[in-house]
Amino acid sequence: MEEATQAIVFFWLAGLFVVVGGMLAFFSKVQGQRRLGGALFGLGLLSLMLTPWTLPFSPSSAFGHLLGSLVGPGVLLGVGLYQIAFSGHVPVGRLSRTDRTVGIVMVVVGVLWLEAMHWWVLTPTYPGEVNRYWYIFWPTMLLGVLTLSSAAYVLVGLVGQQRQQEQRLMLVTSALAIVLMVLGAMFNGPSVDHQRFATELIFAAADIFGAMVGAAVAILLFAVVLTVYESQQPAPQRLAPPTEQQLEQASQIIAQHVGGESEDE
Amino acid sequence: MSDRSPMRPFTLLGAFAILPAGAVLLLVWWTSVDSTEGTLVRFSNALLTSFTFISFILMMTLFVYGDARKRPLAPLFGMFMSVLLGVAMTVFFLSQGELLMEDNGSVRAQALSNLIRLATTLLGLGLAGMVVAGTLFASLMNTPPRSIQFEEE
Repeated sequence: MEEATQAIVFFWLAGLFVVVGGMLAFFSKVQGQRRLGGALFGLGLLSLMLTPWTLPFSPSSAFGHLLGSLVGPGVLLGVGLYQIAFSGHVPVGRLSRTDRTVGIVMVVVGVLWLEAMHWWVLTPTYPGEVNRYWYIFWPTMLLGVLTLSSAAYVLVGLVGQQRQQEQRLMLVTSALAIVLMVLGAMFNGPSVDHQRFATELIFAAADIFGAMVGAAVAILLFAVVLTVYESQQPAPQRLAPPTEQQLEQASQIIAQHVGGESEDE
Repeated sequence: MSDRSPMRPFTLLGAFAILPAGAVLLLVWWTSVDSTEGTLVRFSNALLTSFTFISFILMMTLFVYGDARKRPLAPLFGMFMSVLLGVAMTVFFLSQGELLMEDNGSVRAQALSNLIRLATTLLGLGLAGMVVAGTLFASLMNTPPRSIQFEEE
């Protein structure tokens, strides 16, 4: 198989599988289609993560390498947070205290693992240098954590009452993200130069802002397209008011059901 | 009666979402960044790629919408044109020499690179969302249930 064909099959088709499979799994009302969507999503994701072996010649395989590098901390964080949440005050299917402890350990290890990817020797390296997509992912994630936790701090205060504990937690999360960004911009890691990190932080902000503006314009256009289509539809046909005979019949039926003796007396 | 503006919560939410990140970026830019050359290029590439990608996703959702509205072709055609517009604009701006091109050798390579970069951005934001929402939810579920206190009449 030619290199270009391999790239189309193992990377771009796999990416399409992830997008279409994810949408089918989330939006479809048919059970079979949801299962098919889940299978497509899993298959596509697996193919993307295998690209360092299936497409070693392609620069795109660095993205597959990044995905593979993030499986460990991602699963630890996801499962750990789930364990902590569902060992709390849930009425059904509550997990045990041990599960909660295991969850806390998983979250701590997940966070430390991510930190070690910047501050220790676990930085994703492919091929022979720091993975170029790591420079995009890590600043984006830190900026995302800061923005979302700051917004959540306000949101919890607006919609909840006596939620000071959650607000404090969001403040701590924001502060942690700020400290990590400032430290990353001031001190070198074993593989990441501080000036490179600082520049990538600015680029990540540009990426996020650009993506948000692009998405907003697309959604606006979508709304316009649907509004124009709906406004061109003929108004639904209005029924004629009921006749005297229909009203009489309706009142008889109602009287049969709501009048007369009560059964429980 | 409260005289607060109904927009105040949204203003507060927006301010808290943007200002801390903006302050950190200013600090980092002031202390550690030598040159911000290329930022506008990254912004423009991200905008065009995101517009095209989200238009494509929204076009796919029209199949679900079509089931409820007897499969109309008009909105599908409209969104298809939107996707085409995004692709055409991307190709046009990328082919204008140094305007949006980065280190890639061809327009196709740059467009594909933009798409992978967008996927990486979405991955970073997705994991950030999981961490923040998971932390908040875990805290909410582990707070002891509160009893409702009625005010004395």
